[in-house]
Amino acid sequence: MIIVRLLPLLMLLASPADAQAPADRSAAVPKTVIGPDNAYLADGAAALKAGDAEDGVRLTERGLMSATSRRDRVAGYSNLCAGLAMLQRYDEALQACNRALELDDGHWRSYSNRALVHLKQERYPEAERDISTGEQLNPNSRTLKTLRVMYRDAVDPVSPSIIIDDRRESEADETDQ
Amino acid sequence: MPVLLLLWATGIAADEPSVTHLEDESHERVPLNTVAPVYPSVARRDRIEGDVQVCFKVDREGRPFRIAVRTSTNRVFEKPAIRAIRASRYQPLPDSQPVPAIKTCRTFRFRLVSTAGD
Repeated sequence: MIIVRLLPLLMLLASPADAQAPADRSAAVPKTVIGPDNAYLADGAAALKAGDAEDGVRLTERGLMSATSRRDRVAGYSNLCAGLAMLQRYDEALQACNRALELDDGHWRSYSNRALVHLKQERYPEAERDISTGEQLNPNSRTLKTLRVMYRDAVDPVSPSIIIDDRRESEADETDQ
Repeated sequence: MPVLLLLWATGIAADEPSVTHLEDESHERVPLNTVAPVYPSVARRDRIEGDVQVCFKVDREGRPFRIAVRTSTNRVFEKPAIRAIRASRYQPLPDSQPVPAIKTCRTFRFRLVSTAGD
């Protein structure tokens, strides 16, 4: 249950092609192609997307052992971070996100994943920093918007209040013409 | 707290709004059942506050009709306000008493109160 609920917030990379910045994507790159260069990474991503965190982590770790390109390694570590977070292994998830960001400090999905890990560990300043960096890299990300809401609700919770004002002195009434 | 996470993720507020009803003695029709509007989840998520004033007439049976928004600071609150008026009721009038021609207006103030100190 926890895994399924965390999944929408974790940014999984289905394939190395997805690791590119949005501007780099060309129409010729089929988005549905999953990891032609590294079957383990691709299968790991598919397992994570399906909510199978244990299998996803295992396959992704295996894929990282043979990943040679920087792009595959960034995608692999970012996915590993997501999978470990799904398993609530937050310290290890943090390390994986850090590895991804060491390889590519412009990878907004890894900032997004790491922000969620920070939130789960109640490290709010760090979460805010990662959310802000992610927002700068991808201002339109819905995931980051959701993380921003989670952050605000965590550090400054609010409760809705409705005042029903029937007083006439509020100039509420008017005569029907 | 997986349940809270799901609620956050979908932008649905987990908490019911507190409701305050301010009245004076000047109204011809007596409220019988005052329904509070729902705080829109999008407004709750984005921390938007606002006011909506809705004016309407009340028929002999106490049902509001000719409901219209008179002023509004944000459109996101208008539908919940109208729905709340539509669901509200006033005390019916006896046949011997004429139905007043005056419109009644109600202002809804949507607020978000910090609970950090709770």
